[in-house]
Amino acid sequence: MAAIAALMFACVCAVLLLGYPVAFTLGGVALLFGLGGALFDVFSFGELLAMPSRLFGTMTNETLIAVPLFIFMGVMLERSRIAEQLLDSIAVLFGPMRGGLGITVVLVGALLAASTGIVGATVVTMGLLSLPTMLKRGYDPRVATGTVCASGTLGQVIPPSIILVLLGDVLSSAYQRAQNNLGVFNTETVSVGDLFAGALLPGLLLVVLYILYLLWLAWRAPERVPAIPEQQRREMHSGGIGVLLFAGLLPPLLLILSVLGSIMLGVATPTEAAAVGAFGASLLALVRGQLSLDTLRTVVENTTKITSMVFMILIGASLFSLVFSAFEGDLAVHALLESLPGGTFTAMAVVMLVMFLLGFILDFIEITFVVVPIVGPVLLTMGLDPVWLGVMMAINLQTSFLTPPFGFALFYLRGVAPPEISTGDIYRGVMPFIIIQLFALGLLAAFPGLATWLPAIIYGG
Amino acid sequence: MPPRKATSTNAVVRTTVVTCVHVIDALNNAIGRSVAWLTVGMVLGYCLVVVLRYAFGIGSIALQESVTYMHALVFMLAAAYTLRADGHVRVDIFYRGWSQRRQDGVNLFGSLFLLLPLSLFLLLASWGYVSDSWARSETSVEAGGLAYVYLLKTVILIMAAQLIGAALARAGEAGLRLTQRQTP
Repeated sequence: MAAIAALMFACVCAVLLLGYPVAFTLGGVALLFGLGGALFDVFSFGELLAMPSRLFGTMTNETLIAVPLFIFMGVMLERSRIAEQLLDSIAVLFGPMRGGLGITVVLVGALLAASTGIVGATVVTMGLLSLPTMLKRGYDPRVATGTVCASGTLGQVIPPSIILVLLGDVLSSAYQRAQNNLGVFNTETVSVGDLFAGALLPGLLLVVLYILYLLWLAWRAPERVPAIPEQQRREMHSGGIGVLLFAGLLPPLLLILSVLGSIMLGVATPTEAAAVGAFGASLLALVRGQLSLDTLRTVVENTTKITSMVFMILIGASLFSLVFSAFEGDLAVHALLESLPGGTFTAMAVVMLVMFLLGFILDFIEITFVVVPIVGPVLLTMGLDPVWLGVMMAINLQTSFLTPPFGFALFYLRGVAPPEISTGDIYRGVMPFIIIQLFALGLLAAFPGLATWLPAIIYGG
Repeated sequence: MPPRKATSTNAVVRTTVVTCVHVIDALNNAIGRSVAWLTVGMVLGYCLVVVLRYAFGIGSIALQESVTYMHALVFMLAAAYTLRADGHVRVDIFYRGWSQRRQDGVNLFGSLFLLLPLSLFLLLASWGYVSDSWARSETSVEAGGLAYVYLLKTVILIMAAQLIGAALARAGEAGLRLTQRQTP
């Protein structure tokens, strides 16, 4: 029976490659297998009837309300051109420095974490926003494309990305199940806030490493990362540097930092911070006269489409995992991981490798909803820390998205990069960043404290 | 569509399909675009929750639940609209490079053999679940919560019906293009 579960998984992957929307492919294939299973009396049809109440559970999940609110905030910052002005003003700040523009892109990528849910969307946005500027200023195309790919995916691992909200929710139920398995019933919980706090230091570590790499380039190969000449900088801030900083940089920076800060300090829940952040972003756009009714309509419609996309995947994946466990696939995975020689370490390594490979065909959201519920409880039962596990998964997947030849980020950047940049340039440009990612991943594996120290301080976990 | 010779039954069938696709899409789009504005309601509503809690120490379950309701309405009732706008993410490693014809083939197959059964299943499987809730006039389990749980559950049926329509519309659209005779 577990073989059928494995077959179903393979089938889903194969059908996904046809390119029909992920949400309905997951749900549709799972349904066909489920009906087959019920028809041949592998399990009773009644098991499939758990679906409506699962669906209703998704509709009323309080934690996930943060998702549309963060999306709203991100889309508002983007559509009202606040993000663009943020990039411009940081560029002026760092422009005189060699490598400054690259550093700007890294910082903006990190700051725009809130809007980061779908790899493609952010890489495309970052690419359109910054690639032409970098190339115009004489950046080596390899450095430029590498920086954009890495920064565009960076936001996923930095709070308050919606990926971390989703992962936090999935991990929290996985952790609950793990503790039930262990017979612990005065359950500890892991919250989205915990995951945010846990991801902060590793995320900042990546930011610092990226910047160090760019600084090293500026020192060793200055011609690849030139500074913006004095005259061009003047053109960029005709209104004087003070105005630029006060209008372009400070307000969005304060907004993003206060959203993040209020969650980190435990003052507000992620949902509360997201609502206030979305309101703040709208207010900011309004004050600047950049919020017309048309803009607002675009913002609400884009927010709605992205939200619906995310939740339909969640619903499709939940039917998938329902059928997968009806075929006892989860038990098989559990048994398999436990039978590996080398115990927890090998199990973790295998899961990380499989997720890395799945990252070539599935986006972060799908992996969170499909794979994590299956492997999460097993690994957590083995005694791994949920926050550490979540952050490891996040950085692992981010690396996967950057890795040639299949990395998602590379495809999307290819789509918006000018034709004179070869695909080979993109592949070579991203290499140093992959090395940085692997280094950070190794560091986090060796020192789990990087992820677990901050949540413990904040939440006393 | 360029004028061409066709048997009259064929033309009638095609016109009927075109009309159906238009009607379904118009309906789903109108619903999707309308619920989209609820996102503004969610932002304002939850901000109000925050203000009430931190400034006045008042917790309003009803207000909080109305945000939950809006949230559910948004992502459920906009699913078909999002499909029409091609907003549901695809694994497009191969899809992106394929010809329109081949993409139409994928969409025809997916609409008929994945989305249509899925949405039919959701409709049928949820029928009892929802009608049971109506029979009990189910209300929130929280004290001070909203009394419309049965209405919220009905949203599942509406979404399923919308998706059945959307599956047929997308299949019709792809089918029309695929059967269109190549005109020079």
